[in-house]
Amino acid sequence: MVSVAAGSAEERQAGSRRLREILLEVRPYGLQDVVAGVDSLLVEFDCLAVSHEQLAQTIRLAVAGLGLDGHQADGDFTQFVIPMVVNDEFAPDLGDVAAELGIRPEEVLGRLEASELSINLLASAMAPMMGTVQFPGQVSRCKEPRTNVASGSVMVAGTNAIIQPFPGPTGWKVIGRTPLTICDIHEDPATSYKPGDKVHFKVVPESEWALLEGQFLRAANARDVVDPSDEGTSHGAV
Amino acid sequence: MHGTWWTRAMKGLPMAQSEQTVAIKVTEHGWLSTFQDLGREHSEFMGVPCGGAADQHSAALANILVGNHRSATTIEIMGGRFAFTPQAPVLISVTGAPADVTVNGEPVRLWEPVCVPSKARVVIANARNGMRNYLAFNGSLSTDLFMGSAAPEARMGFPQVIAAGQALELRTAYTGFEHPYLTQPLFRLPVPVPAFSPGPWTVDIVEGPETDAAEGIRELLATREYTVTPTSNHVGLRLDGPVVHPKGLGEIVSHGVPIGAFEIPHGDELIILGRYRTLTAGYPIVAFATKACLPMLGQACPGQKMRFRWVTHQHAVQTHREEQQRLMALEERVGNLFAAVGLPLQASTAPQSAAA
Repeated sequence: MVSVAAGSAEERQAGSRRLREILLEVRPYGLQDVVAGVDSLLVEFDCLAVSHEQLAQTIRLAVAGLGLDGHQADGDFTQFVIPMVVNDEFAPDLGDVAAELGIRPEEVLGRLEASELSINLLASAMAPMMGTVQFPGQVSRCKEPRTNVASGSVMVAGTNAIIQPFPGPTGWKVIGRTPLTICDIHEDPATSYKPGDKVHFKVVPESEWALLEGQFLRAANARDVVDPSDEGTSHGAV
Repeated sequence: MHGTWWTRAMKGLPMAQSEQTVAIKVTEHGWLSTFQDLGREHSEFMGVPCGGAADQHSAALANILVGNHRSATTIEIMGGRFAFTPQAPVLISVTGAPADVTVNGEPVRLWEPVCVPSKARVVIANARNGMRNYLAFNGSLSTDLFMGSAAPEARMGFPQVIAAGQALELRTAYTGFEHPYLTQPLFRLPVPVPAFSPGPWTVDIVEGPETDAAEGIRELLATREYTVTPTSNHVGLRLDGPVVHPKGLGEIVSHGVPIGAFEIPHGDELIILGRYRTLTAGYPIVAFATKACLPMLGQACPGQKMRFRWVTHQHAVQTHREEQQRLMALEERVGNLFAAVGLPLQASTAPQSAAA
């Protein structure tokens, strides 16, 4: 596991994201895969092709050459607007989240919609983990994780948001649900988004659920999912 | 970055002149049987665990013994009785847990190439002292791929389960094997067969990031016996046995976790992560199983007793290297043997299926 030695939590997180970019770009000899943590990077490698020490040196050299002060090219990302429906069934934790933050439920949603979120990494089963939601504080996780949360669930913890791509357990707080399918292994690729892409959430009326349900969240220029209530805007990429 | 995520394997590829398609009729599917290979490459950075055969050693050997690439698609059989009938001669091997394998009622050995005549009934049953068997066929089994691999990824909708009544499609250049004196040729191959002993298994471990914070864990792991519990699966083995919780760490932020990590969650149990683990977690890691011991962990049944032995990193790498050398030596012997007697080999220069 590799992490950036010093600095604030924010710097360590940015540093580990940059480290991930560097390793995927440089692809040091013997590297097999990487797994991003919140402020660290798990580096998996073939220990017969390269020793621990050799790989560590290659990583240090790559970082020294490319720099940890990210220079990700602007414009090298896709923007998504993801519709979500909020009702009692889809947002069982909205009241708790509002109470914990000391604001009204409408304001929780308002702040989520107003935040330009950046996909930091793809978590379990390609779930897009996003930051930073403009909440006035940190949202805690559920004391008892739920054993089965529906796919499409929009969830928050800390000041991060994530979407559940497939049904399964999670300890994140559920505050809405998107009718779109965000990951489908029959699509190529299985997700339209990638780390670095930008996301806006948009709360839509429940009446639109049926229209949008099951549609695949598309990448740039796909305009097959049009929001009838908002001319000129498309769900999916804009 | 993206290769083909979802492709019918082999479709669209020109069939080699000498190859034919053979239907394999599955008549009994055991408790759970799936297509399986060594897993995905370059998938974990996208949030998809590599998956693949829990016992990589047995899966690789099954393929080597029929002249395939190690990463070719096999069938992983988890308990019960698996039976099939090929519609033409096939060359197979069965590896993994000790089991009873018969061809038309005649017992045949595991860990050897076996010539199966057309329409013969092959049965694999009564696995003991282990969880999984691997069945390989000379040639290529036709199956869907996800991110370049046939390995199941059930959570994402890719179960790869094989059911009785299914007809599998095999493309093979094998057309039968004639020997002047023997119906089954005698192959004397240097096969590294794991022990699968009935008593406690000894697993080599190296220290982890939180070993020192968990005071007393070194002695416990070195001296006590642990038992695999029935809640274990391909996500991880759960073990009953004494643990101590690390002190003074505060909340551990979520970090990537490798296969073989020994986690101590909030409860009093020990979890050894498997190939289908959740990729990130915030639990303390007090040890790692060595790479050479991972296949053994992939075979551990509920009730299996385990002991642990601390080794150095150098020792762990050296053991892994020796094991790989044994596999390479076997590959070479099989290559020479098959070439000498005219059995088909998967071309060593053929490109491996590219992972996404």
